[in-house]
Amino acid sequence: MIQPVNLPVSVTTHFDHKKRVTLPVSVLFEGREYSVTKLGFHHTYREGRVLYHVFSVAGLNIFFRLVFNTETLGWLLTEVHDGEVS
Amino acid sequence: MEKLVNLTFNPKPPTLLHLDLNSCFATIEQQADPFLRGRPVVVAAYTTPNGCIVAPSIEAKKLGIKVGMRVKEGKLLCRELIVLPPDPNKYRAVHLALRSLLRDYTEKLTPKSIDEFVLDLEGYPAFRRGMMAIATEIKTRIKEEIGDWLSVSVGIAPNRFLAKLASSLQKPDGLVAINKDNYLEIYTAIKLTDLSGIKTNNLARLNSADIYTVPDMFNAAAPALRRAFHSIVGYHWYLRLHGFEIDDVVFGRRSYGNSYAIPDNRSSVEQLSPILMKLVEKMGARVRHAGYRARGVHVGLLYRDGTYWHHGQLQKNYLFDSRDIYKTALVILSSSPYRQPVHTLAVSAFDLIKETDRQLSLLIEVDKKEALVAAVDKINERWGHFVLTPARMLGTKDLVPDRVAFGGIKELEEIILN
Repeated sequence: MIQPVNLPVSVTTHFDHKKRVTLPVSVLFEGREYSVTKLGFHHTYREGRVLYHVFSVAGLNIFFRLVFNTETLGWLLTEVHDGEVS
Repeated sequence: MEKLVNLTFNPKPPTLLHLDLNSCFATIEQQADPFLRGRPVVVAAYTTPNGCIVAPSIEAKKLGIKVGMRVKEGKLLCRELIVLPPDPNKYRAVHLALRSLLRDYTEKLTPKSIDEFVLDLEGYPAFRRGMMAIATEIKTRIKEEIGDWLSVSVGIAPNRFLAKLASSLQKPDGLVAINKDNYLEIYTAIKLTDLSGIKTNNLARLNSADIYTVPDMFNAAAPALRRAFHSIVGYHWYLRLHGFEIDDVVFGRRSYGNSYAIPDNRSSVEQLSPILMKLVEKMGARVRHAGYRARGVHVGLLYRDGTYWHHGQLQKNYLFDSRDIYKTALVILSSSPYRQPVHTLAVSAFDLIKETDRQLSLLIEVDKKEALVAAVDKINERWGHFVLTPARMLGTKDLVPDRVAFGGIKELEEIILN
């Protein structure tokens, strides 16, 4: 089921200095840590001057849409999909 | 102008490449969420049963789901249909990534819409590597550099029209070239209505001139086509089908508009005015951002019973302040003789003038107003749209969401401006 949410969330990231790429590697959601196995898409957008990075990532049987606010340096979870069709 | 007649198919090697991202919005959603891949997915303007489907995935298309259907109609064809709301920022990001990748091959790159591009490789080093080789490389690079689920259909031809036609012949993930050696074979395999621009009326015109197939149309003399269309348009068709360029034209911006399909029942001016205000605010900001002012304001009302009323008004002075545009739009809205539930409310600004071309005002009040509007725009640009809003807009927070225009190239100016 695809569930739109709006929750602050804990995310562990990894920065590869050679490729200059930052990727989420795990997400702590509802007391459980999920490893990220695939990056579906990464894009950015602005609201006013604030730049947001959106990471659409998947783990085993779960999808997260994670939004990183470059001004507050906080992560927000905006969508969860458990892989099932609602 | 001297007319070229009795032409053969253009012998020039094809240099134009038309690229079309297959099932654009739905495929991008499948790219982002791997669990959606291989499943019937649609992106709909609204996910409610009456929401309009704007992009079905390749899997949904195979089930008969089409653009323009209602969500409930799609669900009748497929109970497991996944319905998603649009995520314009994601689609703009893919558009910009494609634009950047394609610029590696030519500077003569024309985005035709959010998911269509035309590349002219004439005179560029890439051309020497062969058009088919370049097209194959672009397809591979899109998968490697932008998204492994994204596929494009590519058409190659000596002119823009035939390149677009070629891109539509094999979907998804197609690669077709139309050239002097195979044009007749391709023309024989398609119908007249497969040509973009030939639908019921033009088909009737052609049939009345004894033209029933694309080869008939190709073989028709230029004067015969001109007679069939009763205008120069017939000659343009003659050139198009013979592989000569007639569509390398960029039309300038003539108006700005915003519209909204209203989800609830609103019929009175009082009920509609907050939405009108928000539409005008959005439109006014776009007009000013692009460096224009407008003298004309137009309001259109599509009622729930299918009837339509619209009216436009020209002002004495060029308008730049959204409040002034709103005042005019409100007068027009109030002049509608009908008070019945409105399905879609649309407002547009026309008769544009570039900010740099206008006559300066001697009135200090106008200078003050310009400074105020510029300050408000600056605050909204810094802190986000609608941080400063007119009180009239209260209660419209969830109405008139961000959208990507379909098919329109003009919207793309704003992607770049942003």
